[in-house]
Amino acid sequence: MRPGSGFGGGLGRALLCVVALVWLFPYLWMGLTSLKPLAEIIASPTALWPKKPTLDAYREVFRSLPLARYFFNTSVMALGIAALQILLALPAGYALAKLRFRGKRWALGLIVATLLVPAQVRFVPVFSLLASVGLVNTLTGLILPFGVSALGTFLVRQALLSVPDAQIEAARIDGASELYIVYRLLTPLLKPTLVSFFLFSFVSHWNDYFWPLVLTTDEHARTLPLAIALLREQGTGVRWHLVMAGNVILSLPALAVFAAAQRHLLRAVSMRGFGG
Amino acid sequence: MKPSRAADPYWMLLPTLLLLFVFFVFPLGKLVELSLFSWDLLTPAHYVGLANYRSLWRSGELWQTFSTTLSMSMAVVLGSMSAGLGLALLLDRPGRFAAFVRSAVFSAYIVSWVSVGLLFLWLLDADSGILAGAWRALAPGRAPHWLADPALAPWAVAAVTIWKITGYALVIFLAGLQDMPQSVLEAAQLDGASTARRFASVTWPLLRPTTLFVATTSLIASFQLFDVVRVMTQGGPVRSTTVFVYAIYEQLFLDLRVGRASAEAVVFFGILLLLTGAQFLLFRDQESG
Amino acid sequence: MIPRREFLQVSAVAGTALLGACAARAVPKGRTPVSLWFSYGGTNREVLESLVQRFNDGQTRDFVQAVYQGDYFEGLAKLRTAIAAQCAPVLSHVVGEVVPYLAEAGVLEPLADYPGLRELDLIPELGQERTWTSGGARPLCALPFNRSTPIAYLNGDLFAQAGLEAPRDWAELRAVAKRLTEPTAGGRFGFGCPINWWFWVALVGQAGGSLVAEDGRISLGDQAGVAALALWQELVRGGLMKPPPGRDYNAWEQCNQDFLSGRVAMIWSSTAFLKYLEAHASFKLIAAPLPAGSKRAVPTGGTFWIVLRSAPSAEKAAAARFLRFMHEPEQVITWATRTGYIPVTRTAVRTLEQRGYYASHPNDRVALDQLSVAEPWPWSVDLFRIQREIVQPRLESAVIEQRDASAILSEARALALEPT
Repeated sequence: MRPGSGFGGGLGRALLCVVALVWLFPYLWMGLTSLKPLAEIIASPTALWPKKPTLDAYREVFRSLPLARYFFNTSVMALGIAALQILLALPAGYALAKLRFRGKRWALGLIVATLLVPAQVRFVPVFSLLASVGLVNTLTGLILPFGVSALGTFLVRQALLSVPDAQIEAARIDGASELYIVYRLLTPLLKPTLVSFFLFSFVSHWNDYFWPLVLTTDEHARTLPLAIALLREQGTGVRWHLVMAGNVILSLPALAVFAAAQRHLLRAVSMRGFGG
Repeated sequence: MKPSRAADPYWMLLPTLLLLFVFFVFPLGKLVELSLFSWDLLTPAHYVGLANYRSLWRSGELWQTFSTTLSMSMAVVLGSMSAGLGLALLLDRPGRFAAFVRSAVFSAYIVSWVSVGLLFLWLLDADSGILAGAWRALAPGRAPHWLADPALAPWAVAAVTIWKITGYALVIFLAGLQDMPQSVLEAAQLDGASTARRFASVTWPLLRPTTLFVATTSLIASFQLFDVVRVMTQGGPVRSTTVFVYAIYEQLFLDLRVGRASAEAVVFFGILLLLTGAQFLLFRDQESG
Repeated sequence: MIPRREFLQVSAVAGTALLGACAARAVPKGRTPVSLWFSYGGTNREVLESLVQRFNDGQTRDFVQAVYQGDYFEGLAKLRTAIAAQCAPVLSHVVGEVVPYLAEAGVLEPLADYPGLRELDLIPELGQERTWTSGGARPLCALPFNRSTPIAYLNGDLFAQAGLEAPRDWAELRAVAKRLTEPTAGGRFGFGCPINWWFWVALVGQAGGSLVAEDGRISLGDQAGVAALALWQELVRGGLMKPPPGRDYNAWEQCNQDFLSGRVAMIWSSTAFLKYLEAHASFKLIAAPLPAGSKRAVPTGGTFWIVLRSAPSAEKAAAARFLRFMHEPEQVITWATRTGYIPVTRTAVRTLEQRGYYASHPNDRVALDQLSVAEPWPWSVDLFRIQREIVQPRLESAVIEQRDASAILSEARALALEPT
């Protein structure tokens, strides 16, 4: 038990309640709005509870969008990206952590530098490239550009730094190839790191908006965040109940993962893999 | 360790470096090349030299975009860091309620920008949003148009961003607080120092590396804001929320001025490099200090 | 690892569900697919989708797949990048201002030789012939889809109460706006209008100017352009006009909402919103033509169907058949009467008159009658760029920030002359 860092008793609890309110009320409001008929929303915007709660908004969203397809696309894309990132981060992190070779610092620097280049900057050349090989509006086109993760590589590197060299040397003497060492020997040791990273990457790419926005043109590869953002149709008055129902549907998976695996996500975020 | 075969490290890094080359290095090079042309994707490109850069500068767009991005980023970083630190101090206590509140704050970091953008678009709606309703109940007349007034919109978007990313600062600061050596804290407590005094002379100095880390990562991330602007204001009203990445998107995707957008992107990348260079120097000082 | 397994299971379940979801939208065997990218939300979307369904159900040769792509500008952006990436759809619809650009870039399929498309009995002001200057002299490459003119909407109850009629010229506009403005807190504005290029062009025409001078110089109306902008500034400054904030179509939405909620007594908007406003107004809705400046003038608006040249011939032929279908009187009438857009063929208009539709729906007649004062657009490849990049942003800042109208337009004119 550490000594608490500050605020005592009653004031502390009151502040806690305010904080909880600020961060939870928006979701609550989102959910409540999704259960109200549109007329009610326009007529009494600040009424808390729906007078006539209804699931109509959800029915309409399900009816007008091929949600199953979008869920599928988004899940496959996020899964693909997370898996590919781990596949690549393992050998790369190993080489950067354990092996001495020329150009190591350059490789390291290059990987860090990628954090500075957002997708919007890279868009045109990458789009032309993908178009020339017919990958526009495909899941592969959504996955490949994100195959490398600086965070993942550094997390692996960080974790491997604390694995004793002796273990690896012993495996080598036993005749193990480097690939075997990386994927069969070290991977189980890194399980907590990998699970955390996988979940974090999965959730954050599930939420991706820009790349699917520019790369997809129809439901063949369109993802859920995009589809829900399109609910905000323009021209004839926003139908907030639909937008909020869609928003609930959109937020649920991330929140579900969060509820089930909070510790892992926390670890991925707070592991300052490349501080110093 | 020495590799078992000299070429090994290169094989291990090959897939990573290959993807990096194709999706980062090559595009950057192409970007610089494209910035010297004028192209609309449909008709052949023609060479214009530095005209795009000149045009961006002379029209004042570059400066406006830079100052909008800088002011919004500063607001976001300062806001989320202070909130994050304050919340870390408040929530660094045992108990289920505190744990619940920590989760609540962090959950905002996990959901998508689209979710948050749509949600606050609704909350801040000047007609039927709940904040407007509350405002009208307390003050006469119409509620301010948070997202439609050029003076207010950037701060509204910044506030939404702070709401979303404070969880990140919270988590890092909590980790920092928990990493602090117990002995020093207990010594201060035994010495009879007040809470405020303890914070100022013990906690805060020990948190400096953490603070620096949060500040620089948040700054770099906030300079790259896009989704929230796209969903909530589309860069408006009157370009008051047109941050760099959104400006590039707009030039490129809506106006189809590939050359000009590339020039803007090159400038943007240069600014980020400078920021990172500054971070590196600061960190270096920190290590030796 | 449990989490991974769980996710794989979820994906498997979703994948199975997918098969069901996908089947409904797949192209039936043997039919020629026609990919249609459209940009409508709300009611218009539903009507379009029902017409597409009507087409698909009524024959077995072709199958149109309509995909929503966001608003006009997003949709256009997607279309252009898709054309560049060679994965464009067969059919889409675009705003009139961008047709010259696309035509000159060579991406539009000429339509005159497809069976039936030359003989569609279009209302000339709505077809290519009179929408652009010398439109008739160029190869047919665009067919009207949803066509509109700006019109004024009046809160009939408020007007009756004050004993006022629709303003017929700018002087009456000022007077009426003044009479109907209530300056108290939470009060009412007499007039509202989205600060949008389209309405500005209308005002320029009314002030006697035109976007492109006789000698081909992009004049942006010269003095008339300034007068148009100055009118708005004057009304806003005087507190008689509420400028709705927001960008592009947000501003229109806001304007409509302000009108419906009684915060604004009279607005300028598109005939496209007629049905929407009629359905949601709690007061008597009166549609009226725009007032005259030194003369009456309105631009036309809405979008045109275009067929992309890059598509396979079989699909283009199928698209042409769909376009013929959409121009048949029944479809034109369905579209126009359910949305408020102007019916694009003379046959359809005659049919509606015979059925007494206009007698019972006088509001629908307003836009149609206004066509007699419709002005053509210049056939200029720069028109779209000038609208979006140069003029529109400056209109906003001129009104919202009350900057000098003359200076701003001179700036715009100079920029319009710069080579891209």
